[in-house]
Amino acid sequence: MADYNIGLSGLGAIQKAFDVIGNNIANAATDGYHRQRVELSPAYFTQHGSVLIGGGVEVTDIRRVIDNLLEQEIYRQQSQLGQLAQETNTLRTIENAFGDFSTEDGGLNAAIDKFFTSLQDIQAGSSDTIMQNQLVSDANIMASQFRSLGEYITALESQLRLEADNTAETINTLVNQVAEFNSKIESVVMVDGNANAMQDQRDHAISQLSELIGVQTINRENGVVDVTAGGIPLVVGASASSIEIGITSKAELGIAVKGSSSYSTDIQGGKLAGLLSLKNEILSGIHNDLDTLAATIVQKINQSHVQGVGTAGAFTELTGWTNATEELADFENITAGYTYIRVIDTSNGSVVRTAIPVMQGASSDTLSEIADYITNNVSHVTATVNSSNQLTITAASGYEYDFLPAPLSEPKTADINFNGTNDPDVGISGIYTGSANDKLTFTVSGTGEIGVDNDLHLIVRDSAMNLIDTINIGQGYAAPSTITVKGTGIKIELSTGDLVHGDSFSIDVFANTDTSGLLAATGINTLFSGNSAINMNVCNDIMDNPARVATSLGADMNDNANVEKMFNLREEAFTELEGMTFGDYYRQIVADIGQDLSVKQLSKDNIEVLVLNLNNQQSEISGVDINEESANLLIYQQMFQAMAKYMSTISTMLDSVMEIL
Amino acid sequence: MGGTLTSIYNNTSFSLYLNSKAMSKLQEQASTGSKINRASDNPSAAYQILGLNSQKRSLDNYMSTISDASGILEMSTTIIGSMSDEISAIKVSLNQILSGTYDEDGRERLANQVNDALEQMVSLANTKHSGKYIFGGTDTVNSPYEVERTGSDITSVTYQGSYEERYIEVAPGVTSNAYHVGDELFRTDNRGTPVFVGDTGAVGGTGTSSIKGNAWLEVTHDGTDYNLSIGGATVDLGTVADLSNVAVKNANGEVLYVDARNISSTGTEMVSVPGTYDIFNVLISVRDLLLNEQDLTTTQLNECRKKLSDSLDEVNSLLLSKETSIGSKIGFIEDLKNTLENIKFNTEDEATLLQEADIAEIAIDLARREALYQLTLSVAGRLMSMTLLDFIE
Repeated sequence: MADYNIGLSGLGAIQKAFDVIGNNIANAATDGYHRQRVELSPAYFTQHGSVLIGGGVEVTDIRRVIDNLLEQEIYRQQSQLGQLAQETNTLRTIENAFGDFSTEDGGLNAAIDKFFTSLQDIQAGSSDTIMQNQLVSDANIMASQFRSLGEYITALESQLRLEADNTAETINTLVNQVAEFNSKIESVVMVDGNANAMQDQRDHAISQLSELIGVQTINRENGVVDVTAGGIPLVVGASASSIEIGITSKAELGIAVKGSSSYSTDIQGGKLAGLLSLKNEILSGIHNDLDTLAATIVQKINQSHVQGVGTAGAFTELTGWTNATEELADFENITAGYTYIRVIDTSNGSVVRTAIPVMQGASSDTLSEIADYITNNVSHVTATVNSSNQLTITAASGYEYDFLPAPLSEPKTADINFNGTNDPDVGISGIYTGSANDKLTFTVSGTGEIGVDNDLHLIVRDSAMNLIDTINIGQGYAAPSTITVKGTGIKIELSTGDLVHGDSFSIDVFANTDTSGLLAATGINTLFSGNSAINMNVCNDIMDNPARVATSLGADMNDNANVEKMFNLREEAFTELEGMTFGDYYRQIVADIGQDLSVKQLSKDNIEVLVLNLNNQQSEISGVDINEESANLLIYQQMFQAMAKYMSTISTMLDSVMEIL
Repeated sequence: MGGTLTSIYNNTSFSLYLNSKAMSKLQEQASTGSKINRASDNPSAAYQILGLNSQKRSLDNYMSTISDASGILEMSTTIIGSMSDEISAIKVSLNQILSGTYDEDGRERLANQVNDALEQMVSLANTKHSGKYIFGGTDTVNSPYEVERTGSDITSVTYQGSYEERYIEVAPGVTSNAYHVGDELFRTDNRGTPVFVGDTGAVGGTGTSSIKGNAWLEVTHDGTDYNLSIGGATVDLGTVADLSNVAVKNANGEVLYVDARNISSTGTEMVSVPGTYDIFNVLISVRDLLLNEQDLTTTQLNECRKKLSDSLDEVNSLLLSKETSIGSKIGFIEDLKNTLENIKFNTEDEATLLQEADIAEIAIDLARREALYQLTLSVAGRLMSMTLLDFIE
């Protein structure tokens, strides 16, 4: 009955082929499906002598059509695409948040410009209340823009962390699925079963996994695939390792096998790598740059502001901001130096200047020690530090204080060495234009009466004994008219009197009355508070009273020298800002974001095309072509008809034989 | 095996995605008129545009500052011009008096006219612009000139303003002083040797005197020695070792050096210091001399009036020179404004070139993308419609 068996084997094989074709067509649009092929081979049934007689056909395998190398390349490129997609999407939202191109005068660039424009305006009218209010308003708008961007980036960082946690959860789910499929596939394949559908499902899970994290796959026997990511074995056979997100010792976001706490940031590819690179590099870079810009603006403006006074005049009490510590060494911008305070007796206008040593020894290393020094050494002024490390400086009734660099109106008695019979009075005024604090010494050349005798001069030298100027105070000088000392901005006047050759007096001139940075670092008479974008603010004292904007540096308190100094910072390049100005540095941040986004977008576009081509290639190999399946259908249909005819013929032959019997 | 269902779908959807993305970008460019709507559109151009926008804002502000400064300076020249006209008119009247045209009543009327002019000049010198005094230097809050009166008459005008000029940046690195120091505008600053008008025998000493304008040296005798005074402490010549150079101070501490060796009589000397006159105190002196407040002799009075006529010439030429100087400053900053306007135009032009979208190019590109979009749909439809299934019965 071999003939029947041949017929039956043919019919059976054809039915299986129909099943495979039907299954292929049914899954033509199924993601991750690989078309299957029936593998047929001739069956051998009997041997007659040396001749093997065929026994029909047998189905040796139903094979998935798959190119494993191609699949791995798809996983790799999908990972790249996943990372770039995450990075570009997030960068796009950051770029939009900066908003410099959304409106003509929008964005931080315009806000910084407006702040400096107001400083320029107030040069013309430092006493003008409207201009003072405008300056404070523009300073506040700039600070708000910084805060708004700082808050946005901080919120985005939190969101990225959450997103990374969620992505890790999804990865863990997929990893468990892969491991579970591995287990089932192995058990089916070991008993020569068909695990094609499960392999497709497992590979689809790996494909999804590759979009979330860069994976490497290793094909093992019995259809098992191991999966690793960034050196972490996620799936080994039937066992899976879960991952978790955590913070590394460098405060970066990393991943680790759950429970190990050994976080790694070295993850390449996939959405998770995109989230990690955004948090650890891209966003943190933008955040740092923005904070650096905000901190530099605050510090540089405050450094000038603390030394001046506004039209509201000198102070009776100032309180700084709260600090985390009172150890001056822990303050970022305090160095060893001095802070010079002027105390004014309001009853007669007399002024005494005292140098406050900062970090100049064991007794000047903390805020409390500075406060004690002020209380003990600066007459009519007390200072305290509260539990929040806020420094408060208070003047006694009838006194005021400031930190103006204006020279004292006359040399200190100790600095005068006159030996004539009728000592002249010396008056000092002006605003020192030098770049560093100095002491100018005026030495008399010649002997005689001021304004009367010939060859009577003052030789002016700085502390390094460089000759600054030679001033005629003999005949031709109308005492006590004012003389400007060349190149210093300092003016002197001498009353009538007589001087002896070698007589001298000296005056301290100040370019900076806060060389230690104490005032700017503790918030005494500052315009801005804060040290980063998120906490930048205009100080409450200034908000409450815009006349406190420190416009003047001169003793008369009506000049605009300080506002000019602050305005000139606009065009100054700072090492803190990599040698750029405030405006250039900000524009560089914006351009860098744009450049980063543009480059990543270009890479993403390229990889999208690459992935499309790889998918098409995969589709050519593993995809279901309806026409091809239809052609196969026709072939098997014809086979089926022929096989049925064959069976019918055999049956007829057997009937004929039976009739003979 | 090309033409699988999946690859046809992939190709179609990818093409549609690319074309619709491009069309969306083109639509954005067409609707905003700008080809750079975010930094990533062209990072290097975006950097330049932001810089150019900043420059434009800065130039706008400089031009606004120049307009303000120009307004203040225009007002200053107008005031100085008015003062100069007034001084010229007084000078003419004083010359008529010197030539004997006026009688006593006429001199009194002229004295009243001078007094009115003085009041007006003080008022002009205390002019405000936008609420700020324009002749007080850096002190724009307090009136720069204060007067002392005896009865209703001004007896002295003192400058109380700042001696520091308020400079304003009118262009990058260029400053201009819009708020002038009144004492430098209305007082000459070219000190000469004091001139004594009188017959006491006092003449100038060898020292450099610091008194300004006109002063009255009173020479008195205490029975033993001559005493000298110019309104401050009286100097007893009996206590002075060197009579050739006696320092006599006024109430402000300014000194007059007097050679007292030839003093032979008491009396009043008018001491004029050329190159130090200020318009207010010259007018006070003119008014007082017209009324002969010091009770001078006719000869001395005429001498003094001649000197005052010279003083008027001096302050008038000072005013004219200041008017010219401020006028040229206005010309300079107006030129500067024109230059800044040109720079601003170029800045805007440069920004526009970088940013402005080419609408014609966009329209052509849009049409091309639209055609490609339709083609994609058409090809996909054609591919999907061709199948062997149609031939299977």
